[in-house]
Amino acid sequence: MAGHDSQAATAVDTPCTSGRWQGNSLSDMRRRMVDRVATGLCWAATVLVLLMLFSILFVLVRNGISGLRWVTFVHVTLPPGQDGGLANAIVGSLIQTGLAVLIGAPVGLLTGIYLAEFTATDGRLINAVRFVSDLLLSAPSILVGLFIYMIVVVPTGHFSGLAGALALSILVVPVVVRTTEDMLRLVPLSMREAAFALGAPRWRVILSVCLRAARDGVATGILLALARVSGETAPLLFTSLGNMNWSVSPTAPMASLPVTIYQYAGAAYADWTALAWTGALLITTGILMINITVRLGLGRNRK
Amino acid sequence: MTVSEKNQAPAAIAVRNLDFYYGANHALKNISIDFPHGQVTGMIGPSGCGKSTLLRVLNRMYDLYPGQRATGEVIFDGCNILGPKVNLNVLRSRVGMVFQKPTPFPMSIYDNIAFGVRLHERLDRSAMDARVEDVLRRVALWPEVRDRLHDSAAALSGGQQQRLCIARTIATRPEVVLLDEPTSALDPVSTARIEELLDELKADFTIAIVTHNLQQAARCADQVAFFYMGEVVEVDSADRMFTAPREKRTQDYITGRFG
Repeated sequence: MAGHDSQAATAVDTPCTSGRWQGNSLSDMRRRMVDRVATGLCWAATVLVLLMLFSILFVLVRNGISGLRWVTFVHVTLPPGQDGGLANAIVGSLIQTGLAVLIGAPVGLLTGIYLAEFTATDGRLINAVRFVSDLLLSAPSILVGLFIYMIVVVPTGHFSGLAGALALSILVVPVVVRTTEDMLRLVPLSMREAAFALGAPRWRVILSVCLRAARDGVATGILLALARVSGETAPLLFTSLGNMNWSVSPTAPMASLPVTIYQYAGAAYADWTALAWTGALLITTGILMINITVRLGLGRNRK
Repeated sequence: MTVSEKNQAPAAIAVRNLDFYYGANHALKNISIDFPHGQVTGMIGPSGCGKSTLLRVLNRMYDLYPGQRATGEVIFDGCNILGPKVNLNVLRSRVGMVFQKPTPFPMSIYDNIAFGVRLHERLDRSAMDARVEDVLRRVALWPEVRDRLHDSAAALSGGQQQRLCIARTIATRPEVVLLDEPTSALDPVSTARIEELLDELKADFTIAIVTHNLQQAARCADQVAFFYMGEVVEVDSADRMFTAPREKRTQDYITGRFG
C-alpha cells in the first residue's frame, strides 16, 4: 500500500502534456473535431424534435385552454352559437375505446401467449399468425373502418357505437399481441423449466410463472394500445359515424372526440373551431397521462 | 450391473441401455447406470459429455423440446418412465430438479415454496405454514428469511436463492433430487453451505448431482460416474474413483490431462 501511494505522488508531479503523453497531434485534432461536429449534430436533431413537439403542445394549449370550461364537459354538441360542449363526444370516446380494449386485449393476450409459449407445436402456423399480426399493426386504419362497415354496419343497417368499438378493437389486437409475445420471450427459459420440474402443468406454468413475470410489460402493452386507439378517427368514420345528441346506446350512432374534431375543425364557426382545439387538447392530455402511467409503472418495475 | 453388486443399497433409479438423441445428434450411447437409494451419485466429465443430458432424462425434462428423444429403459419404482403413459407431472413431483442458475419465481419467498406444494397437495393454512417453515429450516434459510416470508424472493442473494430453490424442490417431497451444477454460479461460502446441505438431505432423498468441480464430487458423492463422449466410462465409489480409477481415460481426466 505504501509503495503504491508514493508512486501516485510522483505521477502527479510529472506534467502529462509532454513526451509520450503528447500523442499524434494531427490525428488527435481531427478526432476531436469529428467528435465535436457529431455531438453538435446530435444536439441539433434533439432540439429540432423537442421544438416540434413543444410547438405542437404550445399551440394546442393556447387554442384549447379557453374551452376547458365546465360547460364543455356537461353540454353536448350544439349548433353554432348555442354554447355547446363535448360531453357526448367525451363519453362516446370513453365507451368506444373502453369496449375496444375489453374486446381486443383478451384476443391479443391469448394470441401473444400462443406465439410465445407454444413454439413447440407448429412453426409454420406460428410464423403465419405473427406475420398477419404484424401486417395488421401497419394496416391503414381506414381499411379497418371499411371492413367493419362491410361486415357490421351494412348487415345491421345502421351505424353504431359497437361497430366503432369493433373497428378500434382490431387495432388493439396486434399491439397487444406484439408486446405480450415480446414480454413473455424475456422470461428466461430456466424459469419455465424450473416450474415444469416441480410437476406444474403447462397452463399453470404460463399463468402463475410466465405471465406473472411479464405482468408489468403486458399491462404496458394494453395501455399503449389504449393510447393508440384513443386518437383514431378513420376507423370511426364509417362505423360509429358520430352523433350530435347525447347517446350512450351501443347500437346507435355514437359521438367521439376524434370524429367531432374532424367535423368541427373545418367548420366556419369560431366556437366550433375552439371546441375542436379543446377536444384535441383533451385527447393529447389523456394519451400523455397513459404514457406517464406506463413510465411510472416501468420505473417501479426496474427498481 | 457391477455397480449394484458392489453397492448394498438397492437402485432408486436404474438406467438400462439408454440412448438419447438431439435430432440426429447421438448424445448418450447405450448407457446403463444405477442410482443407489439414499446415496449421492456424482456425475463428472468434460463439457458436452452427456451428464446433464442424462439428468434431464430422469425427470423427462427433454419432453419440453421437440426433436429430443430417448430409447431404452429408465426404471423408477417398478415402471419404465420412458413409456408413453407416464404422467409427467407426477413423475416430476417424485423426481425433483435443481438447476445451475437459481430461478426464484416472481413471487414471495413463501409462495415460491407453496407453488409446488399446491400443485400436488391440498393443505390448509397452518399445514402449509408448517411445510414452508420445515423446508426452510432444512436448507438453513429460516433464520435469514423468517421475518420476510412475504417479500419478493428476487431480493435474496444468489446463495440464498439457490437454497430457496432446493427448499422448493424438497417441499413436494420427492424421492429423488437431481442437481445440475447447483453451485457453479455461487461463491465459495455459499457453495460450502450447499454441500453441507446435500450431506443432510441424503438421509431422505436419493441424489444425483452433475458437477464440474472434482473436489465437490469427492466431498459429496458416495458413488461417482465418469462420462465421456456420451458414454459412461466408469462408475465406482468416490474413494476408489479418485484414488485408483480402473480406466485410463478416467485417470487422465481426474489428473487434469484433458477436459
